[in-house]
Amino acid sequence: MKEFMAVLRNGLSLENPLTVLMIGLCSTLAVSAKFEGSLFMGIAVIFVLVMSNVLISAVRRFTPDEVRIPIFIVIIAAFVTIVDLVLKGYFPSVYSFLGVWIPLIVVNCIVLGRAEAFAYHNGVVLSIADGIGMGVGYTIIISGLGAFRELFGSGKLVFLQHTLVSFGSAYRGPNILLLFPGAFLLFGLIVAGSRALNKRLMARKEAV
Amino acid sequence: MRDNIYLRLGMPVLVICILSAAGLAITYGFTRGPIERQAREAEQESLNAVLPDAKTFERVTAAALLAKASAAAGDVTIDGVFRALDGTGATVGVGLLVGSRGYGGPIRMAVGVDRNGKVTSVTIVSMNETPGLGSKIVDDKTFLPRFGGLTSAEEARKVDTITGATKSSRGVRKGVEAALAALQAIGGVEGVSAR
Repeated sequence: MKEFMAVLRNGLSLENPLTVLMIGLCSTLAVSAKFEGSLFMGIAVIFVLVMSNVLISAVRRFTPDEVRIPIFIVIIAAFVTIVDLVLKGYFPSVYSFLGVWIPLIVVNCIVLGRAEAFAYHNGVVLSIADGIGMGVGYTIIISGLGAFRELFGSGKLVFLQHTLVSFGSAYRGPNILLLFPGAFLLFGLIVAGSRALNKRLMARKEAV
Repeated sequence: MRDNIYLRLGMPVLVICILSAAGLAITYGFTRGPIERQAREAEQESLNAVLPDAKTFERVTAAALLAKASAAAGDVTIDGVFRALDGTGATVGVGLLVGSRGYGGPIRMAVGVDRNGKVTSVTIVSMNETPGLGSKIVDDKTFLPRFGGLTSAEEARKVDTITGATKSSRGVRKGVEAALAALQAIGGVEGVSAR
């Protein structure tokens, strides 16, 4: 149980896929213009990550080293297609916003990276922890980025057709926030912040 | 016995592929209904929005008409042409679903034309334009009404675009132009209502 929590926490802080490992940035910068879309993107990634981690970990003893990558990709692609079909059928508005980024989860480095680096060498239970930790770590950063960009860029925060916060129609936000350069700048600040935080965590870990 | 490398490496891949295909087939079976329903609903909703007088919509299936319409529309795609019928079954107009190109990808929209060949209104079915900039084609409530009452592609070409959303609003304008050109090519509302 202690190990489970440790692996889970790793994904959130010391090995956060976005701010520390710096993988999966492409989708992060592209879909984080809206809170709703980025949250659903995060949920989709959590699902794919956990499910593919579980399956890859479960079949790792029967997987020859030479063909492990094709097997990983088939498993990941299957779960991504499931997400794609479900979103299309039940959340059309989200689907139309995320568009091509859902199928592109297949080539998201986080999913393949965790399969290779973690699930292939660890048991099913720990792989679940890794999937959740990495997925939630991704989701927190991307939806935080999305919320900030939407709120301060367009002046309101919309979730499932409900306006959660609005600065009124007179608000004129800096457009750069909504464009890709804004995502880069903001993401840089987040990385800097989490580096400072991680430094402290590392120091505490070494002290123990 | 010699180690058969093809069998040793191929079998696991084959088994995984078969299992994945089975999983996908099952999911597809479950989601096919909802996906088709969503697509139909979105279509109906946008047609209702541009032609509020119509009760039902009937898809035009004549291949010759559709080919002519597509040829006139150029690189804008004609996704559907619909006869708009009132309660008695009389044609009150034509609805066109067209797909144009914006800044962030395709812009799909519905264009309604009444019996006199005038545009009733235009709505955006789906788009992926930059929020706050290109999305003004929806957020700026004065933009889409600019197309109301137009009767020809030439008139549509003169509609003003929006500052800060030039490419997106040009995409919408191009879509309306193409819809009107396509309708003209197939003989206007008269041509569509004659079965």
